[in-house]
Amino acid sequence: MQSNGAEALRAYIRAETSKCMFCGFCEALCPTLYHGPHRGYGPRGRVNLARLIARGEASFTSDVVESMYSCLLCKACHLKCPGGIDIVGVVRATRSLYVLSQEVSA
Amino acid sequence: MVLNVREILLLMAEETEKNGIPLPINPRVITEWAEGLGLPEKGDTLLYTGGLYQLMPYINALVKYLEVLESRPSGGFLLKAARKLGLTGLAGAIAKPDRREVEYSHKVLRAIVKLLQSAGVEFAYNPSADGYSGVLLYDMGLDNVFRRHAVRVYESLKKAGARRIITIDPHTTFIMEKVYPEYVKGFDIEVVNYLRLLREKGYKPSGNGGRVVIHDPCLYARELGIIEEPRKLLADAGYEILEPRRSGRMTYCCGGPVESIAPRLSRKIASMRARELSEKGRRVVTLCPICLANLSRAGEKLEINDISLYLSGEA
Amino acid sequence: MSSTASDLKKILGKGKVIDDPAIVKLYSKEPSGMEGEGAIAVVFPESVEDVRRIIRYAYETSTPVYPQGSSTSLAGSAVPFERGIVISMERMKKIHEVNLVDGVAIVDPGIRIDDLNVELARYGYMFPVDPASSSVATVGGAINSGAGGMRGAKYGTMRDWVLGLELVLADEDATLLRVGCKTVKCRQGYDLTRLIVGSEGTLGIVTKATLRITPLPEQVVYILAFYDKLEDLAQTVVDLKASRITPLIAEFMEARTVELAKKLANVEIDAEGHMLLVGVDVYREAAERMLRLLEETARKNNAKKVYKAWSTEEAEEKGLFAIRRNLFTSQVYYTRQRLGKENVHVLIEDIVVPPSRLVEAVKRLDEITRKYGFTLILGGHIGDGNLHPAVGYDPEDEEEKKRVHDWYMEVMKLALELGGSMSAEHGIGVMKKEGLRMEAEALGSPKMLDLMRGIKQVFDPKGILNPGKVV
Ligand SMILES: Cc1cc2nc3c(=O)[nH]c(=O)nc-3n(C[C@H](O)[C@H](O)[C@H](O)COP(=O)(O)OP(=O)(O)OC[C@H]3O[C@@H](n4cnc5c(N)ncnc54)[C@H](O)[C@@H]3O)c2cc1C
Ligand code: SF4
Ligand code: SF4
Repeated sequence: MQSNGAEALRAYIRAETSKCMFCGFCEALCPTLYHGPHRGYGPRGRVNLARLIARGEASFTSDVVESMYSCLLCKACHLKCPGGIDIVGVVRATRSLYVLSQEVSA
Repeated sequence: MVLNVREILLLMAEETEKNGIPLPINPRVITEWAEGLGLPEKGDTLLYTGGLYQLMPYINALVKYLEVLESRPSGGFLLKAARKLGLTGLAGAIAKPDRREVEYSHKVLRAIVKLLQSAGVEFAYNPSADGYSGVLLYDMGLDNVFRRHAVRVYESLKKAGARRIITIDPHTTFIMEKVYPEYVKGFDIEVVNYLRLLREKGYKPSGNGGRVVIHDPCLYARELGIIEEPRKLLADAGYEILEPRRSGRMTYCCGGPVESIAPRLSRKIASMRARELSEKGRRVVTLCPICLANLSRAGEKLEINDISLYLSGEA
Repeated sequence: MSSTASDLKKILGKGKVIDDPAIVKLYSKEPSGMEGEGAIAVVFPESVEDVRRIIRYAYETSTPVYPQGSSTSLAGSAVPFERGIVISMERMKKIHEVNLVDGVAIVDPGIRIDDLNVELARYGYMFPVDPASSSVATVGGAINSGAGGMRGAKYGTMRDWVLGLELVLADEDATLLRVGCKTVKCRQGYDLTRLIVGSEGTLGIVTKATLRITPLPEQVVYILAFYDKLEDLAQTVVDLKASRITPLIAEFMEARTVELAKKLANVEIDAEGHMLLVGVDVYREAAERMLRLLEETARKNNAKKVYKAWSTEEAEEKGLFAIRRNLFTSQVYYTRQRLGKENVHVLIEDIVVPPSRLVEAVKRLDEITRKYGFTLILGGHIGDGNLHPAVGYDPEDEEEKKRVHDWYMEVMKLALELGGSMSAEHGIGVMKKEGLRMEAEALGSPKMLDLMRGIKQVFDPKGILNPGKVV
């Protein structure tokens, strides 16, 4: 997913995450959820936080940033998602949104 | 649980723009391993290391430093100060990696060169065209920094006459094969992973034999489908392969990718995986420098070595 | 920060309380599509004492609490609708004891069923209740929703496998109560253990469970068979019973569903017609005889195609489970296609009828679903009569939502008419409260609900435990 500015990123995240059924099947294999402090450290959490961010219903609080940046991008979750969601793509796109919001790469 | 992300991103972005590496170190660390090997510098197939093996000792030093920061409430603040001052703590810590680790990375790279040569692969190594691929920048969402960096890497590869590059680790293979074409307009370099290449050549390595536990890296197993190649090579080299509970496509991450953002979390994941591997045996094969570093850090009594050393009889 | 959250942080320590609204939202939702707005904070107890501190505070301040495992409930039972605190049990996930001599495992509520089974497999044992969500579902959640699974016909549901419980009561002292035994035989007056099983977090917070465990079968043999006529498929199951066989699993899928699911399954199986998957656990020496018997019984009943597997591994490899596993997914994909949008919901029903009425149930379900203009996706546990008819709909279309609701009600009525029940394993939550009332009336026992309300009142005098659920 190449970022063509914040709007394109948001549109991509919205489309991808709207497929989520909240079944949690992705969580079983996620290493960071098992060792992490809450659901935000797992794929179901990351997908749904990304969704809130993309819809403008949440902001990059430290908990949200931690959720996104603690992901290993290991794709174990992809093996189990019945919705076929590109979870890692969503996490990366959300990180890109964060970077844009922080003007780190200006 | 997590360090000050913004500060780490800034550090990576600034350093990459400055000298092509996301850390405050001399870029020569990426190419010094080849000095004195007398490898040809010209050819249309170039060995492109991407610098990951070479950078690991420095990243390890950084992680040690960050682990200390993470345990203090003022960690985020100190990180900011360290980045601003450049010299204190941070740069000092990174500048002094464990020499043994540096030597080990050189040994791996030389073993890979030997394997390629024995298999009859014709290739050149051009130090001015080797360099960091920018994997971390891409993973961290630093899209613009990454794009600029990738274009620079591509240009220097083209200048060196590369039509095809040989990559040696999962992250660099992935980024060159799947991501560069998306970010670099007109990217036209063929990417081939060395394990695949060795198999294509029908090369039969010879090793020391014995039983080894294999740890598949996530990107090889799930993204690139490199699962059978290392197994065939190891079997041909005389090893009996033991599969951990989670292997192949179902493999379990070593925890490495978040080592510089959440060192403690990363270590917990590594310990769990190391324990799982140790249930099958003590001798472990890794195929990625990040896995090697992170599993070694986990502290289980394991004898972990890179696949290239097993295949060349050096482990 | 709300005062509740800051109070809790003082009581529990900072790391165990989260009130970031985005994270709280992750604990306010369910795969049923239901979402609540009530949660102020999520707390993460790490010990029984933590749970008691939370409950004491909640009791004192009359603040509702919503216990949660993985919130995979399909009945709306884990959703915080009123202003209150979510108690996530996810950090209490230890296995305290595995005792093979006594045949029990003592575990924390937050451990996931599959993780428990990985550990038990080391000893050659298993916990046999296997909801399709077993990779996510926690032991505490499964106990409280009274979960079942594919092996229901042979192994029953949670209520057959929970021997004892430790729970925290919602009273002034947050009393720690231990009920049940470590043994299968146990006559401790009224059976409070079973009262808690299936109580959906409305009677107490489960903090520990003593579970029965059982040896892993030596070998399981499977057939996957396809039929033109539903009657033939049902007769196969009847014949197997007559041969004194209790299958480990006996799963069924209706023909159109098979057609949809096979597109996703990506296996080389010539799947056409109604599908029956039977697995029987055997001693190694009996495997061949059993497999032959299974195949002959299927063929005798006009099965068109029969696939066989000698073991679970072989069945996996040959893709014998793949079509069944895509039951739910196929409805999602189908609905996305039908509506031309990604955001769709699927309602999974959970009725049970006596196995003798299955054929009739399937036919009637098809009629009802057609009447409401939906496409029926149907599969179920044929061994125990549990059916999961599902329909997909557009959550943003009010008219369609209304139609789904009416369909849902009529399906429950059908179950009652055939002598079954409106909920087999998913529970009541909020979605089936109407159904429960209907069932009580159908049984001529509206008093049942009064008794339940009375029990609730005794256990939870202030009504702070998962309010609004069940009764
Ligand atoms: C795709 C899919 C397939 C499913 N298949 C099946 C199936 O085959 N069979 C089946 O039975 N179910 C099935 N379910 C439903 C659900 O997964 C199960 O009911 C499961 O057992 C719930 O576990 P949980 O940990 O998610 O509990 P939650 O959903 O978090 O909670 C369920 C109920 O238990 C309460 N609770 C949780 N923990 C505690 C505790 N420690 N103390 C007190 N109360 C508590 C909650 O308040 C709630 O009322 C399925 C769900 C999905 C999404
Ligand atoms: S990619 Fe991220 S979310 Fe998915 S399993 Fe790995 S760590 Fe978890
Ligand atoms: S498995 Fe896929 S659909 Fe289910 S919760 Fe995870 S991301 Fe959502």
